[in-house]
Amino acid sequence: MSTLKHYDIIRSPVITEKATIQAENNKVVFNVAKTATKPEIKAAVEQLFSVKVKSVNTLIRKGKVKRFRGVLGTQSDVKKAIVTLEEGHSIDVTTGL
Amino acid sequence: MQVHETATDGLKRELKIVVPATELASRLDTYLNDLKGRVQIRGFRPGKVPMAHLKKMYGKSAMAEIVNTVIGESTSKAVEERNEKSAVQPKVDLADAEAEKVLDGAADLAFTLSYEVIPSFEVQPVDGVSIERPVVDVTDEEIDERIAQIAEGSRSYEPKEEGAEAAEGDRVTISYLGKVDGEPFEGGADEKAYLFIGQKRFIPGFEEQLVGMKVGDKKVIEVTFPTEYPAPHLAGKAATFDIELFEVAAPGAVKLDDEWAKTLGLDSLDAVKAAIKGQVESQYGAQTRQKVKRQLLDQLDKQYSFDLPPTLVGQEFEIIWRQVTAELERSGKTFEDEGSTEEKAREEYTKIAERRVRLGLVLSKIGEENKIQVTEPELQRALIERARQFPGQEREVLEYYRKDPQALASLQAPVFEEKVVDHLLGQVKVEDKTVTKDELFKEDEDETAAA
Repeated sequence: MSTLKHYDIIRSPVITEKATIQAENNKVVFNVAKTATKPEIKAAVEQLFSVKVKSVNTLIRKGKVKRFRGVLGTQSDVKKAIVTLEEGHSIDVTTGL
Repeated sequence: MQVHETATDGLKRELKIVVPATELASRLDTYLNDLKGRVQIRGFRPGKVPMAHLKKMYGKSAMAEIVNTVIGESTSKAVEERNEKSAVQPKVDLADAEAEKVLDGAADLAFTLSYEVIPSFEVQPVDGVSIERPVVDVTDEEIDERIAQIAEGSRSYEPKEEGAEAAEGDRVTISYLGKVDGEPFEGGADEKAYLFIGQKRFIPGFEEQLVGMKVGDKKVIEVTFPTEYPAPHLAGKAATFDIELFEVAAPGAVKLDDEWAKTLGLDSLDAVKAAIKGQVESQYGAQTRQKVKRQLLDQLDKQYSFDLPPTLVGQEFEIIWRQVTAELERSGKTFEDEGSTEEKAREEYTKIAERRVRLGLVLSKIGEENKIQVTEPELQRALIERARQFPGQEREVLEYYRKDPQALASLQAPVFEEKVVDHLLGQVKVEDKTVTKDELFKEDEDETAAA
């Protein structure tokens, strides 16, 4: 049961310029569920990728208000987690699960 | 790149080519470096994608592309370095399991290359060859004959007076309804159709029975369809025709003079004669040329004997064989009907295929040595000529050839051949020999062997 929940917490890896730069410092960036907490994210990453996590930092990027054909709309908010791994551990995000 | 010869058998060659993995890897790096500046990947500014990421995303497809070009390059290079010319596209043999590893960059690229070389032979002098050119003199009688034929077509008919009887040579206007066993049959009826008595275009006996009829007469005639009549449901059947005659017209005399020439759009009778003469001459000229060419090719065929690449012969044979079998299928015959068996026919056509391939090689070699090339205007002329064969669709035909260089090349081949033949004819002894028309058009026994 608990593993299934882990899949819901970790949505996808973030593969951007910034994320690849951080990868050098043993940090991995994920999109996570809006409701996920740091301990949950830590548990999920540790179990899914079988690594040891040192710390988790999260942020919520608020969705922007966008105007499309004169109609206002809002992008959904996105929660990201920057996971720092213990020394000697690594995740290859591009290969997927 | 390492090349080993693994097998040589006659004209067949087999090479094993090995390209080391490091060479492939360095090629991949340059390829990706080049790619890096161009690709746009979400999350990265252009040119800022890390190499590792790029490799992960595009590595496989890039490698496949590189392997492809490497195979192509090394193939032509290997063959070139050996100073050989491949008769057909060389066949590359690469094991699938190997290929997977090569794409990962883990193994050397190793493949076998099999091809057939174009046999090397010396062009032999053609001074000793002499050719007889059959020439037909166009006689005045023949021209007169042709004019008479044309005149017949433009003959005018004058209606005969009331009560005159239809006679041989007259044109009658009739309506008829044909019946077999009392039932009208398809295509057996017409209204007010012209019929020329004595031209024997109808069923035998039909026209004869019209002789003596007058305008307004009605008559029922009985005829029997000939047994070899093209429509099978009518052949050999007895039929009756209900006929009503509307008009009898007698042929008017055709005066061959300048006046008549004007109806044909020419100034004078002499002009008509000249035009016909030109036409006939060009007709004979084409036939003469064909015969001369044939003789020349026969001589060449005798002069040269060398091994032929089996694949080329096979391809040529397939083409001929397909034509032959299609022909037989259309006419609903088998080889037994033609007085031979399939094996015999196969043997025969293989010989023809060999001849064609040999002559093709010889001609192209001669052309090459004498620097004969098909120029652009000549190609254009051939193209227009071809387009003319499809009246109404000229533009589509031109468009087709413009788009498809391979089709254009196929158009080029006959022009090239003609030019080489011309060149050779300039070197050999050609003797004119006057022959009659029938002799000229007499079919050669093995006409099918024409290259």
